[in-house]
Amino acid sequence: MSAQKGRATVKERAELALNDEFLVKAVKFTTERLRNGKKNASAEHGNWDEWRERGRQIRLHTIAHLDYYLNLFVENARANGVHVHFADKGEDAVAIAMDIAQRKAAKTVVKSKSMVSEELHLNHALEQIGVEAIETDLGEYIIQLAGEMPSHIVIPAIHKNRYQIADLLSEVAGEKLEADTTVLAGFVRKKLREKFLEADIGMTGCNFAIAETGSMVLFENEGNARMVTTVPKTQITLMGMERIIPSFEDLEVMATLLPRSATGQKLTMYMSAITGPKRTADADGPEEMHIIIVDNGRSLQLGDPEFQELLNCIRCGACLNACPVYRHIGGHAYGSTYSGPIGAVLTPALNKNVAEWDDIANASSLCGACYEACPVKIPLHEMLIYLRRRKVETGNGKAVETAGMKGFAALTGSSAAMKAALAIGKIGQRLVVRGGEIRTKLGPLKGWNSYRVTPSLPRRSFRDRWEKLNREVDADRPQMAPDMKRRMEQIVKERGKGGGGHGGH
Amino acid sequence: MADINRQTGAAGGESERAAWLAEMERASRAKQETFMNGIAARLRHPRMTSKPAQPVRGAPDFWRTFDWTPEERVERFEANWRSVGGHTARAKDLAEAGRFIAERAQELSARIIVRQDQAELASLGLESSVPDAEVSVWNADEDVAWKARAAEADIGVVIADQALAYTGTVVVRSAPNKGRSVSLLPTVLFILIPAERLGTRLGEALIPMDEGGRDALPAGVHFITGPSRSSDIENDLTIGVHGPGVVYAVIIG
Ligand code: SF4
Repeated sequence: MSAQKGRATVKERAELALNDEFLVKAVKFTTERLRNGKKNASAEHGNWDEWRERGRQIRLHTIAHLDYYLNLFVENARANGVHVHFADKGEDAVAIAMDIAQRKAAKTVVKSKSMVSEELHLNHALEQIGVEAIETDLGEYIIQLAGEMPSHIVIPAIHKNRYQIADLLSEVAGEKLEADTTVLAGFVRKKLREKFLEADIGMTGCNFAIAETGSMVLFENEGNARMVTTVPKTQITLMGMERIIPSFEDLEVMATLLPRSATGQKLTMYMSAITGPKRTADADGPEEMHIIIVDNGRSLQLGDPEFQELLNCIRCGACLNACPVYRHIGGHAYGSTYSGPIGAVLTPALNKNVAEWDDIANASSLCGACYEACPVKIPLHEMLIYLRRRKVETGNGKAVETAGMKGFAALTGSSAAMKAALAIGKIGQRLVVRGGEIRTKLGPLKGWNSYRVTPSLPRRSFRDRWEKLNREVDADRPQMAPDMKRRMEQIVKERGKGGGGHGGH
Repeated sequence: MADINRQTGAAGGESERAAWLAEMERASRAKQETFMNGIAARLRHPRMTSKPAQPVRGAPDFWRTFDWTPEERVERFEANWRSVGGHTARAKDLAEAGRFIAERAQELSARIIVRQDQAELASLGLESSVPDAEVSVWNADEDVAWKARAAEADIGVVIADQALAYTGTVVVRSAPNKGRSVSLLPTVLFILIPAERLGTRLGEALIPMDEGGRDALPAGVHFITGPSRSSDIENDLTIGVHGPGVVYAVIIG
């Protein structure tokens, strides 16, 4: 089972991850491709910052009036014939989902990708009552077979090679499958098709919920979310309470930002707007539809001037691809459902537990690349600093003299660099007021050496620093396996021809 | 306000099920108040019950006037569609489109074809032009398990309600005569796009969904931008993971 769930610190997990060469290569290869894809897609689209600002404004407004918009969504969804449920805690959502499954005497549940369901460990709960929960997203299906956690929001099986995947799928098939992508994907198509048709319940996440019409919107590339919302008789949708936007008009902005930021696509292959269960005369679609609205720590961010913007996140994963640390250590090292810069802030925020998760906040370079990449302009790099400050304030700041700490102390000694660091990170007035002693305790560079990414903190723009970090990380990059390199070259060649259309989910 | 026509029909234990749903609804409504009040309290404002002014809505202004000529739309749509691995074709009318589909169906030795129940698609004449295949018309017969039928079909044929060139996207809306499965389950999909339904921006399809409001929306509005795909195995692009792997966009007119 998952080794990532132990109590190891991020640092220890990072060392584990680093030992797996393939992981490093795969993470770099994919994130790089996605990152470049994103740069191309946003540049090609043009006026990117205007769109980002638009996205930010829409999200800010909706969250600031969440009681109104969420309520409006609920009323409209009910009028559409949806059964709406509320869950303060993860356990409540699990209990509701289990109640529905039991009422339906469900044997199998087919699921499309849902971060909320990961957050709730729902599959495990369903298993306990004898319900088989099947992940149907190709990557999720693979890691479910392996009994692991996703390592990337957008590409969950980024850490597995096709031989490992062939081994896993061969076990299911009861015969040896060739380690060929087409063969493997073809097997999964056939296998899961049977599952879609026999499943009692389809379970989905929700990318956006439209307040004014009570519709839910899903973005995907494979078509499994469409399967899950079309074939089974009962649909259950798990939705974070902050997924709301006012209108379809606003969805145009989100649909412009999300796919481009996630995979560099102009739009995902499928975007589906589901408005209630099937109409009586329809011959497909669910007969019964439930939406479970989940708080599970989200409302703790409301009214918090430093963290409320976390709720603006549209889960695109761009901050992961941009983050030099993530690209170096991979998602599992974060040891939680949400990885990368967003995970570093969101996990402790949702858990309301600064002490337990503080080491995660250190697994970030404060370089600001995450903010620059974020399509809704969430200042993650600033939040990381707030997090560290809170940790000190709650008495969890153990002033251990690590090598990194000493390095940081040395840096604070060089006042020009420190001032730049403060200005860049907007570390905050309190910190400045408290002077050097606290600063050394905070140590944004703490433990840094062990990640082998040394952030430089000169007085330059985030962009400059990001480029430099990229270069450092890339210089470090292990040689790629020849076949992988060949594939990559092939992809680049095809992309040059404008064909192929790579980018993916 | 619950619409009767959206009521759901299940078999055994119907009254028990109704009682359970009613009980859940009671619990949900009670919880709704505390949930929303909790949000308002955290946001430190009294519970908001009237619509706030929305300072920024939808796309930037410059975007709203952006439009391509009909020729540009066709060209860009086709280029986008092909760039994601889709296929394109032009036909001057439905008859020509029908011949095109029939030829492909014969080439591929299709055994089962499923099409939406629409007059335009009937006029393609596939029933007679592809004699070796069984052509099913969606939901034309109550006794057929339609989802299973679509799942075993080699070819699905649908007509787009709208298409958008900028992203290379086709919009299909569900209805009793227009199954969601027909554009999803068959291995090969033909989407007919009457040229006059081809617009430029996504907003041209989205904004009318607000204007028509909740009541005018079907259960499913699907935006399709190419074949089903995945890069989950070693980033190697795979087509047709769950949905159709071969998708033809046939622009008519
Ligand atoms: S924080 Fe921003 S960049 Fe990161 S996943 Fe959320 S929306 Fe995307």
